[in-house]
Amino acid sequence: MATALSAATPARERSTTKERVVGVFRASPFSYATLILVSAVLCVPLVFVVSIALSSDQTVNANTFTILPREFHWENLTRVFGTDLPMQRFLLNSVIISAGAVLGQMLSSGLVGYAFARLRAPGKNALFIVVIATMMIPSQITMIPQFILFKDLGWVNTYLPLIVPNFFSNAFNVFLVRQFVSRLPSEIDEAAMVDGLGFFGIYRRIMLPMLAPVLIAIGIFTLTATWGDFMGPLIYLNDESKMPLALGVQYITSTSQALQSPPWNLVMVGSILLTLPMILVYYLGQRYLYEMDISGGSAGVK
Amino acid sequence: MSKLRRREALWFYLFASPWIIGFVVFLLGPMIASIYISLTDWDSFTPPKWVGLQNYTRLLTDDPVFWKALWNTFYYAAISVPLGLVIGLWLANLLNKQVRARKLFRTLIYLPTLVPLVATAMIFKMVLAPSGPLNDALGLFGIPGPSWLLEAAWVKPALILLSVWGAGGATVLLLAAMKGIPRELYEAAEVDGASPIRQFWSITVPQLTPIIFFNLIMGLIGAFQVFSQVYILTKGGPNNASQTMVPLLFDQAFSFYKMGYASAVSWLLFLVILVFTLLAFRTARRWVFYETEVK
Repeated sequence: MATALSAATPARERSTTKERVVGVFRASPFSYATLILVSAVLCVPLVFVVSIALSSDQTVNANTFTILPREFHWENLTRVFGTDLPMQRFLLNSVIISAGAVLGQMLSSGLVGYAFARLRAPGKNALFIVVIATMMIPSQITMIPQFILFKDLGWVNTYLPLIVPNFFSNAFNVFLVRQFVSRLPSEIDEAAMVDGLGFFGIYRRIMLPMLAPVLIAIGIFTLTATWGDFMGPLIYLNDESKMPLALGVQYITSTSQALQSPPWNLVMVGSILLTLPMILVYYLGQRYLYEMDISGGSAGVK
Repeated sequence: MSKLRRREALWFYLFASPWIIGFVVFLLGPMIASIYISLTDWDSFTPPKWVGLQNYTRLLTDDPVFWKALWNTFYYAAISVPLGLVIGLWLANLLNKQVRARKLFRTLIYLPTLVPLVATAMIFKMVLAPSGPLNDALGLFGIPGPSWLLEAAWVKPALILLSVWGAGGATVLLLAAMKGIPRELYEAAEVDGASPIRQFWSITVPQLTPIIFFNLIMGLIGAFQVFSQVYILTKGGPNNASQTMVPLLFDQAFSFYKMGYASAVSWLLFLVILVFTLLAFRTARRWVFYETEVK
């Protein structure tokens, strides 16, 4: 979540650049030197990944990688989709699981959050305290009973345990939507009601379009969480053909024969494939994350 | 209650039902089940055998690996979280100056946090290899690098190093907060002749305490639940030197099918997180500064 939160900031910063309030201090040559050094050190692993990804099989077996790419075996990028690795299967699995999870969270969080923000009902406030309280419970507490539940349902080794719970929303997303709706003027729903719309009509026709930024933000959070999720698939999926990329890539390295080193070049192509969507989502998504104004949400931490 | 009010309440419960059902089926039910399972000896295939508090007493009095995992988890959290915050703050402060190409630097610093943890672990497996780039770099200074992931003394620093790689996440958040600090505060301090360092400690840091506190809480909770890195890089080894609570729990449950024992570990983990979160909130009154207090 922290990653997604911080993704919200650059767009916000852009909006203030007009005033040029960038602080009172000039950067000294020493600051530049430090920034260049830090950026370089942080990027070394990423350059190294590219270098390994473009290495030949001989280099992998001899374990003679260099930080800067020395050889350029571009065919590695396509080899992972052939017979060498079932990468297309991993990718497809990732897409199915993530899409299901994103859809589930977007559908359910909007409804629940709207209800908590606008509709009046006895017991609502007590229930909202429960919502907040559940944020404190580490998921490990429920991990084993949930596994037993899904095992009894016969869902182990299917995508269902990784998708279905998302259709029931989660506390953090409910909280986000509620905060967002609370800031919208309530005259909108009142006017709609006078016009004869029912509660579902108000939600469907008036609220839903206005919720777009927060729902897209929730979609981004969910995608980030499920795309890179390792523990969930590790618990529930056994067949290589059902594994998402995050698990599949690791699986390849851990099942290699003792005498033969894992195909690190192909594994690193997988790692790059795993990372690229996150970079894409970050660039496309910052606008929505900004509109949602996360600062209102994080105020709850006070 | 009027008819309209009753209808509204009905719609509330209808709209909220996904969360309510999810809460009962995926949280409340499993929590109660987890308490029960933690009081049994159960392999998940044959019927559970009631053993009372035996799992807990065995964990606390007769399981050196659990204590080691607990200590390692503390060690990891106590160093990686503050270190990440300090580095994040330091980088944010650098970027908050009038820097050319600030956007480029910010992106480069943020980039590692976009790499999914599994990929990060894969990458660090290579970076930390005995003949990997880190040891090559150390070699330039004449320092013989250790076999990071294979030596008990170096495996925890290696995992902390991996976590510090992602310090850019905190940087971006802190940088945004720094931009929100009223400029007049610095101007006034400048008039009073305060040095940049003095201004950093007397204005920037106090103004940032709410966001530092937020990062601290989130960081602590995350660090106590560290899993993927440990599981992929070391499996807790060598000799349990990098074993932490969640990988231990996972192994007990899904490798050894000791569901009762693992459930007991999960409740002890909850207890640890709860105690530390409450402690952080208690001390927060002394050092976290909220803008509303000056208004």
